[in-house]
Amino acid sequence: MKIKFMLFLIFIFTSLLYAQVKEIEFEEFDLDNGLHVILHQDDTVPIIAVAVTYHVGSKNEDPERTGFAHFFEHLMFEGSENIERSEYSKIVEGAGGELNANTSFDRTFYYDLLPSNQLELGLWLESERMLHLKVDSIGVETQRSVIKEEKKQGIDNQPYGTLLEELMKRAYKVHPYKWIPIGSAQYIDQATIAEFMDFYNTYYVPNNATLSIAGDIDIDETKDLVEKYFAGIPKGKKEIIRPNVVEPPMGGEIRDTVYDNIQLPAVILAYHIPKQGTDDYYALNMLTTLLSDGQSSRMYKELVDRKQLAVQATSIPLALEDPGLFIGLALANMGVDPQTLQDGMDAELEKVKNELISEKEFEKLRNQIENDIVSSNSTVAGKAESLSDYYVYFGDTDLINTEIEKYMDVTREDIQRVAKKYLDKNNRVVLYYLANSSKK
Amino acid sequence: MKNKVFISILILMFAVSAFAQLDRSKRPEPGPAPTINIGDYESFQLENGLKVFVIENDKLPRVSFSLVIDRDPILEGENGGYVTFAGQLMRTGTETRTKDQIDEEIDFIGASFNTSATGVFGSSLKKHTEKLLDVMSDVVLNAKFQEEELEKIRKQTLSGLAYQKNDPGSIMSNVRKALTYGLDHPYGEQMTEETVNSVTLEMCSNYYNDYFVPNIAYLAIVGDISKSEAEELVNKYFGSWKGKTVDQFTYETPKAPLIRKVALVDRPNSVQSVINIAYPVDLPKGDPDVIPSSLANTILGGGIFSARLISNLREDKGYTYGAYSRLASDKLVGTFYAYCQARNIVTDSAVTEFLNEMKRMRSEKVDDELLQLAKNYQTGSFSRSLESPQTIASFALNIERYNLPKDYYKNYLKNLNAVTSDEILAVSKKYIKPNNSYVIVVGNAEEVADGLKKFSVNGKVEFYDINGNEYDPAAKAIPEGMTAADVIDNYVEAIGGKTNLEKVEDVTTKMTGKVQNIELKVITYRKAPNKSFTDLDAGVMKQEIKFDGTKGSQSGMGQVMMLEGDMLEMIKMQSTMNIYFHYDELGIKSELTGLKDVDGTDAYEVTLTFPSGKKWLNYYDAETGLKIREVSTTETAQGSFTQTVDYSDYKEANGVKYPFKLTQQMGMGPIELEVTSVEINTGLEDSLFDVE
Repeated sequence: MKIKFMLFLIFIFTSLLYAQVKEIEFEEFDLDNGLHVILHQDDTVPIIAVAVTYHVGSKNEDPERTGFAHFFEHLMFEGSENIERSEYSKIVEGAGGELNANTSFDRTFYYDLLPSNQLELGLWLESERMLHLKVDSIGVETQRSVIKEEKKQGIDNQPYGTLLEELMKRAYKVHPYKWIPIGSAQYIDQATIAEFMDFYNTYYVPNNATLSIAGDIDIDETKDLVEKYFAGIPKGKKEIIRPNVVEPPMGGEIRDTVYDNIQLPAVILAYHIPKQGTDDYYALNMLTTLLSDGQSSRMYKELVDRKQLAVQATSIPLALEDPGLFIGLALANMGVDPQTLQDGMDAELEKVKNELISEKEFEKLRNQIENDIVSSNSTVAGKAESLSDYYVYFGDTDLINTEIEKYMDVTREDIQRVAKKYLDKNNRVVLYYLANSSKK
Repeated sequence: MKNKVFISILILMFAVSAFAQLDRSKRPEPGPAPTINIGDYESFQLENGLKVFVIENDKLPRVSFSLVIDRDPILEGENGGYVTFAGQLMRTGTETRTKDQIDEEIDFIGASFNTSATGVFGSSLKKHTEKLLDVMSDVVLNAKFQEEELEKIRKQTLSGLAYQKNDPGSIMSNVRKALTYGLDHPYGEQMTEETVNSVTLEMCSNYYNDYFVPNIAYLAIVGDISKSEAEELVNKYFGSWKGKTVDQFTYETPKAPLIRKVALVDRPNSVQSVINIAYPVDLPKGDPDVIPSSLANTILGGGIFSARLISNLREDKGYTYGAYSRLASDKLVGTFYAYCQARNIVTDSAVTEFLNEMKRMRSEKVDDELLQLAKNYQTGSFSRSLESPQTIASFALNIERYNLPKDYYKNYLKNLNAVTSDEILAVSKKYIKPNNSYVIVVGNAEEVADGLKKFSVNGKVEFYDINGNEYDPAAKAIPEGMTAADVIDNYVEAIGGKTNLEKVEDVTTKMTGKVQNIELKVITYRKAPNKSFTDLDAGVMKQEIKFDGTKGSQSGMGQVMMLEGDMLEMIKMQSTMNIYFHYDELGIKSELTGLKDVDGTDAYEVTLTFPSGKKWLNYYDAETGLKIREVSTTETAQGSFTQTVDYSDYKEANGVKYPFKLTQQMGMGPIELEVTSVEINTGLEDSLFDVE
């Protein structure tokens, strides 16, 4: 009968992928067509993960055609020259596997988990949709309906469901992060099949993709098979567009209120921060651990436990390829005024700025991070995703082993410095979610 | 140098020629199937009864401890929430530690630690194991419950309930459980503001003292630890834990509804309906039907894209993002539910497709290809689940808790792959019941209610609040000060007044009607104070029902059956002349429970509660005062059935008004009876009512 708050699920895709203390060995190479390949052997269980990351997310979209990358996540299951419509998933499931995909602001990730004797099948499937995806009007029409239901289910029909959408459009004025991956249904409706195929021919090409395979494989045999299925896929001919827009400073606090079908007010504070992988980013990430990881963390202890201002209080580093956000988020307890809650959140942020954290608290942070890193990457599916993300985002696959050093290089002074530098009132959005009934 | 170039040219040529030979239209064949090994576990037991499983796995330098309390489900009743609270309170203080100290110690070693009413879980790096166990065993053995912490949890929970009011998923979960199991079953009872406010610290600490005992506990230890290390640690930290006898509980098993019903929770601003089709199933853990029925569910809607529900509702029709079903075994009572979220306009179409697919499972044998696909998929999931050593721990626990054969999981794949399409059909007929289900929708009533009527056997959409209580959406406010007695007085006046009514000694009513084209003749004789005789003649079928003032009988087709229990009480009440003058002496309580819409007429609802607890609803026209409907529910061996009789066309006989038209609502349609004559005080003999 325990009540769960589903509010923060929307941030799942930002979950951090730490490196591991125990070395993860891998091999990587490029095919002539530009496809990057990463192989990792782990024979714990006779299974494999075959994954392809396309370096295209919602930020690559035309502002008049938002939602394309996510729509493709659906179209990529439609079939190819050699695979009939609706056969794709049947083949994987019939082979004892499962498959899915996810789309973020920066990239799209497709994966098949298969028994180890089906490696060749996995490569055939992924190479088929990279080489010659086939999309017909029935498939497009059906998926248009499906994603409208997906949007209602995840956003429109959920309390606080519009939170990310409302936050991003206020935090970004010019950068394409101002829209979220699900985009707008109207654009998907307006777009023609030719436009979809043009997007496909631009971004779903080997020179914009990373193939990662983890699990019970023979490295040499796998190399031959990768060559067999992927070497013949031609390199893309179109220019890959990567936005180089620089989001200007906010130039003052942006305050706003969203009225929703809810009972408990929510307060969101969001600050511009540097892109993922920078030194300041790691310091900010550790700051969020200090504020909200565990029941002794500062926001939890003060706001939820001692003062009982909130039922939930958290902080999240929205890690993105271009400068992202530091988000502080709290859901008010019954009868708590949102301004009182915000004052409580502000007080915790001010405290980090004004007082250097103690040696003991700092040691705790480092222990928490060590634990998280050791615990991560325990599945072949997780490792396939981490390996490709490190390569795609940073060009350094070995970060899966070495990223811990970036955290361990952060000092107590760094944490105070980044708090002062970025958690500035003139660099933030303050967004309140209030009950419809409180609307005047 | 030269050689190297030569070799690379060779490789290049080989690669090119390999590619040239690649026939992409051919799906690659799998290699030989890999062997799937299930890891082993060891176990031991402490003198205090604690059973321990050790699953050694040194892949990561971590150890986890999962303590499970194995007790019967508890019915919390009007204190719903105290069991959950007890679990949460455990980590808020011990005899020697404050909550702040516990939080600090756990976070300092980067551990995870949480408590619930049925267990405690802790996990840390191996090097911190003893520190973790020190806190964990202190919480399990010496928890100290404090008022201040209870109040914090109460406030958080009330906020949580407020949050749920707008969350369609939580609302569905509440209402589905209420309907599937009943509000008075541990799985179906609800936590509300009222129950949460009634929880006391004593209830919570009693729960902890009664159930956190080693003799009903299992401890699963997983990770980088050997059996001997585990034994030493468990003895050190849990050796002094004292055992105690624990209460056991049994519950009546909830049954699927006799007919399909439609339940709607109105959420006016919904842009999408949450749809469930649900009912309880009798399927204990380890039952031989569990494996074939899990395959049947995979085929119907078990989370794969090839399943029928998602193929139909998503890939073919585009009604939803995902449509699934779940068939869960459980020691006490299992459940089936199929579910999706679909836009308002296609809500009824989605339900139609759910029911079609459920019917198809029962009527058609599944083709070999899909059955094989389901087996392969489940084989694959099983082997993927083995990647986590926690899976072995759950196998060990299940074998112990549910008395499964020791080799249940070792034989799982063999048994799975031996299932035939005949067995799938047989379990589908047994467990997939589209006609005995609740169709539950959380959505915009104005837009979806009408379309849902057709799925209900009685043509009605029943409205429920977010905690699974039925209500009448047409209910209007009762005028201030109005009581049941006022309504009954008005009725007595309307039909002729007390003086005229008390002059009636006996009444003979003759009626005719038609049931499915068969002529029906009914004569009822009633005599004060409480005798009655109903003579029903439907040509080939004749029936007599008699009540002589104490005994009742029902006879027909040469057989006589004495009426007992509910049936006897009902006939007694029906036989009592002018019963409304005798409520007090018969022990009947009357209450004005609403102003309702009865087929377009505003009517007062008076609820009569009989000494047996049975309820009878009477509806009185708010304008004319006349009784227009009577609803009674009777429990029979076949289940409960509700009888609704409508009265109209009132005419006067000897100063008293009688209804000349009676309409009885039945499953097959209404039966209408026309009164042809009413004769008063003809001097009926007592012998007419004799019960042999």
